[in-house]
Amino acid sequence: MARLSRRDFLKTGAISSFTLLNGCQPLFGKAASKAHVVVVGGGFGGATAAKYIRYFDPTIRVTLIEPKAKYITCPASNWLFAGLTTLDQLSVNYQGLKNYGIEVVCDTVIQINAEQRRLTLSSQQTLNYDRLVLSPGIDFRWDSLHGFNQALSQRFPHAWQAGPQTELLNQQLQAMPNNGTVLICAPPDPYRCPPGPYERASMMAYWLKQHKPWAKIIILDPKRSFSKQALFEAGWKQHYGYGSENSLIEWISLADNQLVSLDAERKTLTTEFGDRFSGDVLNIIPPQTAGKIAIESGLSNSSGWCPIQPISAESSLLPFIHVIGDAGHYAPIPKSAFAANSEAKACALAIVSLLNQQAISSPAWMNTCYSLITPDHGISVANGYQVNADNSITAIKSAGGISQKTDPASLALEAIYTQSAYLNLRTDCFD
Amino acid sequence: MKLWLLIASFGMLSSASFNSYAELNGQNIALNCFNCHNPKPAANSAIPSLTGYSQQRLQQALLDFKYDKTNATLMPRIAKAYSDAEISAVAAYLSQQ
Ligand SMILES: Cc1cc2nc3c(=O)[nH]c(=O)nc-3n(C[C@H](O)[C@H](O)[C@H](O)COP(=O)(O)OP(=O)(O)OC[C@H]3O[C@@H](n4cnc5c(N)ncnc54)[C@H](O)[C@@H]3O)c2cc1C
Ligand code: HEC
Repeated sequence: MARLSRRDFLKTGAISSFTLLNGCQPLFGKAASKAHVVVVGGGFGGATAAKYIRYFDPTIRVTLIEPKAKYITCPASNWLFAGLTTLDQLSVNYQGLKNYGIEVVCDTVIQINAEQRRLTLSSQQTLNYDRLVLSPGIDFRWDSLHGFNQALSQRFPHAWQAGPQTELLNQQLQAMPNNGTVLICAPPDPYRCPPGPYERASMMAYWLKQHKPWAKIIILDPKRSFSKQALFEAGWKQHYGYGSENSLIEWISLADNQLVSLDAERKTLTTEFGDRFSGDVLNIIPPQTAGKIAIESGLSNSSGWCPIQPISAESSLLPFIHVIGDAGHYAPIPKSAFAANSEAKACALAIVSLLNQQAISSPAWMNTCYSLITPDHGISVANGYQVNADNSITAIKSAGGISQKTDPASLALEAIYTQSAYLNLRTDCFD
Repeated sequence: MKLWLLIASFGMLSSASFNSYAELNGQNIALNCFNCHNPKPAANSAIPSLTGYSQQRLQQALLDFKYDKTNATLMPRIAKAYSDAEISAVAAYLSQQ
């Protein structure tokens, strides 16, 4: 059948959907559906869903709602601590999506009326939808540490949403004494970007090794183990003296002795059994939940995340609302930008099928997370995922896992691929 | 539409239908490849766009990755997730893009 090829779609992106329709038939038959899909959140998940719904069926009207005029990517934001990038280089705008005929509204959704399928924006404008895609990312639990609160994140930045927080943490790193200590408080599972805290420690250590070699990074971890641990520890040993007395990085599991309080004045953290850790820079990454709008709209359960039906990404709690990205409960798929993109594409296909009264095909998700240990030492973890007959999601056992080749040439190649994969993923989501 | 195999209804999902379907789900798998192999690759991208690759070339490359016949860092771990029939369907879909 004469359908719009991907190449044509990319070429003709700047032309209105009306023109596209004259030239080519949409993927799903002739009946112009004229349905309206609203996508909330212009991050990796939302941007991809908006783009791919238009790709699969350009007769569908798509509106994207996002408060920020430019989006700063968390992926690659750890590289800033090594001096390898800037906030400017991490920024994308929404012109690429507008070129596909997506209406981009710069505003915040403050209420979702699921029964009437209507949204209210902070401008008080209302919008009706046939189907809603929600990709609002994460929010934080601020009450997990006695003595800590949201306001204190201005002194003890999480930098887990890229932007001013990233800049603030970097300034603190650069300003601390030459023999100073950075405490990275890693969050408990599940959280956005499982290898993120460890990549951050690596990138900070890379900079400290050149500028403050007597400094130290201590990772305080509520978990017993972490993502790509063997690869990180081997890399830290090779580059940062890990395991020796002068190591730039120390990792401490507090699985049986969790942090309970913060003394903000003394920049000191105390554990259940009274152990104390003091630092010059405290990177406190709080426990996480689905974004606020998802929780306020009744889309989350007691886990703090949004249960979904894997086949369609539709909420298990409210109809006509599809949740993707970090906010959704897709375990064991990790919360990553790559996974958000993969979930968004499966969701886009499902929505286009539903709007065209077609049955939904089985999703095939994928995830890959690259991390840099130095600019020339990259590591990765990859997996494919499938939905089972009992509606559970599982990793495909025959595949995946962490980097197998750990000779210097392979690690250097993986560092190069890390950068290409970041840029190409960004293009796939936003351009 | 040939790769667009449809499940008749949610109610009819059985493990059997899932297995036979997963075999040939070319498009759903292949959409993930664009993340890295973007048709509009970044300048100096070390990961090539797959635009213009023939079905035969794609299929052979993926089978070589899957059965460890090529030296590679990442692709063997990805290719091992799929049956040979799925690989063939992925190659068919991508060669038409
Ligand atoms: C330090 C760090 C490094 C990372 N590195 C990687 C990496 O290398 N690779 C990788 O794959 N992943 C990485 N990640 C993870 C990645 O950033 C997230 O998984 C990804 O951003 C999830 O996408 P999302 O669409 O769910 O949420 P987000 O990208 O956070 O997007 C959510 C959007 O929704 C908007 N929004 C929220 N509420 C509303 C509302 N009420 N109305 C309108 N808009 C709203 C927000 O403004 C935001 O733009 C990293 C994360 C961190 C913190
Ligand atoms: C996370 C990034 C990533 C994803 C996703 C990915 N690839 Fe790759 N691909 C690579 C890298 C890196 C290489 C270089 C070989 C290596 O070291 O693994 C490569 C190489 C290839 C090659 C060989 C290209 C050549 O000309 O030598 C083919 C073909 C290919 N991939 C196909 C695919 C297909 C099909 C998919 C989707 C099922 C896919 N890739 C998904 C990163 C990716």
